Amino acid sequence: MSVNEGKELRIIGFLCNWCSYAGADTAGVGRFAQPTDLRIVRLPCTGRINPLFIVRAFMNGADGVLVSGCHPRDCHYSEGNFYARRRLEVLKALLPVLGVDPGRFEYTWVSASEGQRWRSVVTSFTEQVHALGPMPGFKSGTSLDMCLCHMDQNQVL
Amino acid sequence: MASSIDDLKSAIKEALPDLDMVIAWTAGPDPLSHTPLFITDEADIERIAWDPRCSQNLAGYLTGLRGKKVGVVAKGCDARSIVELLQEKLIDREDVTIFGLHCTGAVDARTTRKALGSSRGVEDVAIDGATARFTVAGEAKTLPLGETLQQKCFTCTGADAEVCDHFIGEHGLPPQVGERPASTLEELEAMSMEERLHFWEDQMTRCIRCYACRSACPLCVCQDHCAAQSREPHWVDQTDHPREKLMFQAIHALHTAGRCTECGECERACPMGLPIMTLKQALNRSIQDLFDYRAGTDPDQAPPLFEFREEEKNIKEREW
Amino acid sequence: MLTARYIANDKLLPWLLSLTETRQVLAPVQVGGQTLFAPLDADSRLDLKGLADASAKAALLPRCETLFEFHYSKSEGVPSRTELELRETLPDQETFLFGARPCDAKGFTVFDRVYDAGTRRDIYYCSRRDKTLVAVLACTDPADTCFCNRVGGGPGETDGADILFTPVKGGFVVEAVTERGDAFLLEQPLVEAEDRTEEARKVREAVSDAMPDEAPLVGIQSKVLELFDDKGFWEGITSKCLSCGACSYLCPTCYCFNMTDEIKGDDGVRIRTWDNCMSFQFTLEGSGHNPRDGKAQRMRNRIGHKFSYYPELHDGNLACVGCGRCIVHCPVSMDVRAIVDQARDRALAKEEHVND
Repeated sequence: MSVNEGKELRIIGFLCNWCSYAGADTAGVGRFAQPTDLRIVRLPCTGRINPLFIVRAFMNGADGVLVSGCHPRDCHYSEGNFYARRRLEVLKALLPVLGVDPGRFEYTWVSASEGQRWRSVVTSFTEQVHALGPMPGFKSGTSLDMCLCHMDQNQVL
Repeated sequence: MASSIDDLKSAIKEALPDLDMVIAWTAGPDPLSHTPLFITDEADIERIAWDPRCSQNLAGYLTGLRGKKVGVVAKGCDARSIVELLQEKLIDREDVTIFGLHCTGAVDARTTRKALGSSRGVEDVAIDGATARFTVAGEAKTLPLGETLQQKCFTCTGADAEVCDHFIGEHGLPPQVGERPASTLEELEAMSMEERLHFWEDQMTRCIRCYACRSACPLCVCQDHCAAQSREPHWVDQTDHPREKLMFQAIHALHTAGRCTECGECERACPMGLPIMTLKQALNRSIQDLFDYRAGTDPDQAPPLFEFREEEKNIKEREW
Repeated sequence: MLTARYIANDKLLPWLLSLTETRQVLAPVQVGGQTLFAPLDADSRLDLKGLADASAKAALLPRCETLFEFHYSKSEGVPSRTELELRETLPDQETFLFGARPCDAKGFTVFDRVYDAGTRRDIYYCSRRDKTLVAVLACTDPADTCFCNRVGGGPGETDGADILFTPVKGGFVVEAVTERGDAFLLEQPLVEAEDRTEEARKVREAVSDAMPDEAPLVGIQSKVLELFDDKGFWEGITSKCLSCGACSYLCPTCYCFNMTDEIKGDDGVRIRTWDNCMSFQFTLEGSGHNPRDGKAQRMRNRIGHKFSYYPELHDGNLACVGCGRCIVHCPVSMDVRAIVDQARDRALAKEEHVND
């Protein structure tokens, strides 16, 4: 249960080490008030992001996923974010077919110095996810639930 | 059709001496579905079959036979798989001899068996305009194409093998399917997000994790080293939970994003009849819009996720 | 003389539903365009035409079975120590398996020899077996791909079953096969079968007689074994094989499994899941070496196990019951009957060659 009596949602942020992670830090150092729903996973580059990280996060019950990296043409590794942009754009087509509202996933670019921008991105995205509410779960709970409840009496053999 | 099969046989006969083998189809144990035939001996050429029961995409065998001189018989969609393999440099053009055909549509053995009551006694199948004609124990029966063809044929983008060394028969149009059942994608679009998730949950309950979808996919080239069986990283757990099986389908769909030619082998191979090509169709539709790209059409093009543009014409980035 | 009863067609479903009050009833029902075994309830669409798409083996050997649960916790006395708590999870569900075909039930006898073999008893399998009554439904319309009569079975046989249902005019004759089945039937509010048992016997006989008379596939253990090193043979027959697991997972006799721990936080389960010998990982060793690294070796094992190694160990009984599901559902339409026929012919030809 989250600290905010269930009002907080679970949003995962995949952030590039070189810009957005530092941008989030800048926002923190600047003491900008931000929502606290985001859990950050730091990655070397948005090009490191396998779109399946995001699918897996949703399957595991995340309510929203935010990806943020360096602005185009500003990648620490020259072109990682260009590949990421294509992959993430393609992922946007898959999520709604699986039953994940497209509003639960966004990607954006925030540099290390853009603390103010980071704050506004996190705030808008969090508001957007809150408007959608918690991610609907699987009827059969999690896989561990399934085993623990002896649901191994399969529904269909 | 009768003349194309004779032409096909003679073309193969002529080419066989210079090849290690030719892959075609022959009659199988089930009267509604033929089976791949690996020809190394001229005597086997007589066993070749060519009609709407030739459903398997033989392109899938090519990567495993790399280094050999292989002839392969291909329908329109099969040829697109071959082109995609060439694009990704997974096979060598000079080693592959393609015998291209015009396909009138491939029957779905499962739905046709149901529509006819049984597959017993089916002797002959032919497609004539918008009708599939069956000879069952000497008796003629017909079915509209919408009740007998595979889902992939409903959205066929080209029934002729465009890239080939020998084209057999006459060129033609994709099957003229009149009324057809709604596709799963269309059904999903009418549902809420939660209903979609639960739709997949219900479907995936049936999945037995045999991975025939993967093994039959001509572009699933990892095969023995698939993420589905990896313990580290732990992409999917081994429980019977529909979530894990759906996760695997997401893995398959994203690994073939921008590469999938919608040959429909994943769905055809599934012994549980799961509508898993839907995920790939959704991705392909988006890839067409984003990158103006269709997999398997141009051997010299790179798949869209293998490259990028600094300025993407159709990607509207969000300004917060 | 064991009990014989009769149930009219329209009474069958209400009777099965009445059984669900005291136990789980598994029956072939329509699910998503297919016929599969599932727990019966008032909404189920029972489907007794032909063979179900998947076998009933999961009734005794689930796709995924919890062997035990575990929980890690910090030791109260010494915080650096981790305590491990284990919880037993033996299956305890009373089950009535209805509508299995004779081949499905015969498949259970293949498991019995392995999982309930004297000193080597698999407690999970055995408790499921003990709590499950198996009612088979005699086949009246075998498919082209059925070949139970070639592997020591038949469309009206009762190996592995407790009760036999035979369709007759207007309903089914229900006959007890085992003492357990007899005790169950005596408690059921069903009418006497009277002379319908004779009609049922004739039905079964007629179906059995109508099955094509082809060479049996039993007793060829040594023939298959002779081909062990015949690389050309195995590569030839497997050239079209995709090495997927559809055949094994649909097979009523394949019983191989994998065991894994699935953990979430401090809680976890050890589970046993189906495995299949057509998978590369099946024999992959920790070193990275794989003794069966090609599909030809894997198919050799699959055929060898069913028609040679298993019957060698178990009095000639095959690990194949002739249901034909592997043929119907194979994505490339491989035919196990043809493979075994070819193996026998090839071995015989080799023997003749030696004698020449």
